[in-house]
Amino acid sequence: MRTRLASALLLAGLVAAWEAWCRSGAVSPLVLPPPSAVAETLWGEIVSGRLWPHLRVTATEMALGLLAGTILGLGAGILLAEWPALHRVLRPYVLASQLVPKLALGPLLILWFGFGLTPTVVITALICFFPLFENTLTGLTQVDPGQRELFRMLGAGRVRTLLRLKLPSALPVILAGFRVAIVLALVGAVVGEFVGGRQGLGASIIAAQSVMDSSLIVALFVVITALGMAVYEAARGVEALILKRYARG
Amino acid sequence: MPTDAFLSLEGVRYRFPGDAADTVAGVDWRLPRGAIHCLLGRSGCGKTTLLKLAAGLLAPDDGIVRIDGVALAGPSPRVGFVFQAPTLLGWLSALDNVLLPVSLRRRPQAPDRDAARDLLTAMGLGALAERRPGALSGGQQSRVALARALVGRPDLLLLDEPFAALDALTREELQDDLLRLCASSGTAALFVTHDIAEAVYLGDRVGVMAEGRLIHEGAVPLTRPRPPGIRYEPAFGAVCRSLRGIMDSAAIGRAA
Repeated sequence: MRTRLASALLLAGLVAAWEAWCRSGAVSPLVLPPPSAVAETLWGEIVSGRLWPHLRVTATEMALGLLAGTILGLGAGILLAEWPALHRVLRPYVLASQLVPKLALGPLLILWFGFGLTPTVVITALICFFPLFENTLTGLTQVDPGQRELFRMLGAGRVRTLLRLKLPSALPVILAGFRVAIVLALVGAVVGEFVGGRQGLGASIIAAQSVMDSSLIVALFVVITALGMAVYEAARGVEALILKRYARG
Repeated sequence: MPTDAFLSLEGVRYRFPGDAADTVAGVDWRLPRGAIHCLLGRSGCGKTTLLKLAAGLLAPDDGIVRIDGVALAGPSPRVGFVFQAPTLLGWLSALDNVLLPVSLRRRPQAPDRDAARDLLTAMGLGALAERRPGALSGGQQSRVALARALVGRPDLLLLDEPFAALDALTREELQDDLLRLCASSGTAALFVTHDIAEAVYLGDRVGVMAEGRLIHEGAVPLTRPRPPGIRYEPAFGAVCRSLRGIMDSAAIGRAA
């Protein structure tokens, strides 16, 4: 409670200092708008209803990209953990696919899928793939050898061992990867819109930049940050609920 | 040679890939039904490997392992195994850990749950059935692992130094739990240990292993039931001393 109060006071202090600095005339409002102007713009966007379609588009891209990236990352992680030979064959390709700057793929993806939701979802999915893949692979290969031997002794086959031993014991590691993926998904969605979006919070930033509306840009930052924190905290809540079984007692 | 051997090892040999020498170098051993056998030996003498061969977790390079006359091709549901570490699943309750051998094959029914609960109660853990392993002491975890090995009513229990990490008093309690449960269910046991007193207290017969071979096998000349105080009696000490002598002579033979 105390730390939360301190955290809130720090925010209030920073905003007040920012406001004071802007009002002193040391900086042009075009370069750095005062918080009061940002709040006003944000409020205007909310009540006029202009914000919601953009928020919906970005949230949809984020969710779809996260979903696709999670399914692909989890699936590839399981596949490569279960078949080490496949792992050795495919590893360089997986690594290469992750080292390609994914935003640089944007123009190509627009050629393939056109403007709109799809290229951004694809970029987001590609970005989310890696933390899920890497953590699933690590988690599954680090299962206690003694427990694996126990499952062999109990006559459990490959699928049963995966479902009843490997995935449950790797779950904390996989969920940690998922939390990283959430943060990256928002970055992927917003930045993906920079390249090829017509709608969404990222596309709105580009539009605001073209009319030099810096207070709208900062207002959109606030919305993006709030969206990210809300999704992250929700995921942490779900994770805590799931991992309660893993805690002592 | 007894013909009613339940577990029989016939000329069993095993070498780990890449090793220069056999870890198990030709062992013949027949264990009758219902009796408790202890396998004694120093660390690295091959006793754990022999136990894994008997369990079907390893396949011998030469020789045959038979359970009830049938050659073993892999882990058998008639055999329970207790590992050195409790190897409990941290996300399951003690009861669900005990039920694991059942739940891996089918959905546990009420009688299964009752049997598991009875086993936990018999080991004084009835009130802790819903706890997860993280909230249990080392001795309690070992008891849960023992209950898990017994829940399938195996004919043979293989134990790989299961109590080695416990303090002396807890270890003695668990030894008595094991004797009681084996006697009540008629389960045979092969108990691997490096502790001479443990082997003498538990075993109907004791085998001594050195350098991958069974160098001695014989009955323990002590009556049953054995009260815990028997450990301090001269007869008990004499058996321990003679086994120690056998182990030392193997060490001298190696040095020579």
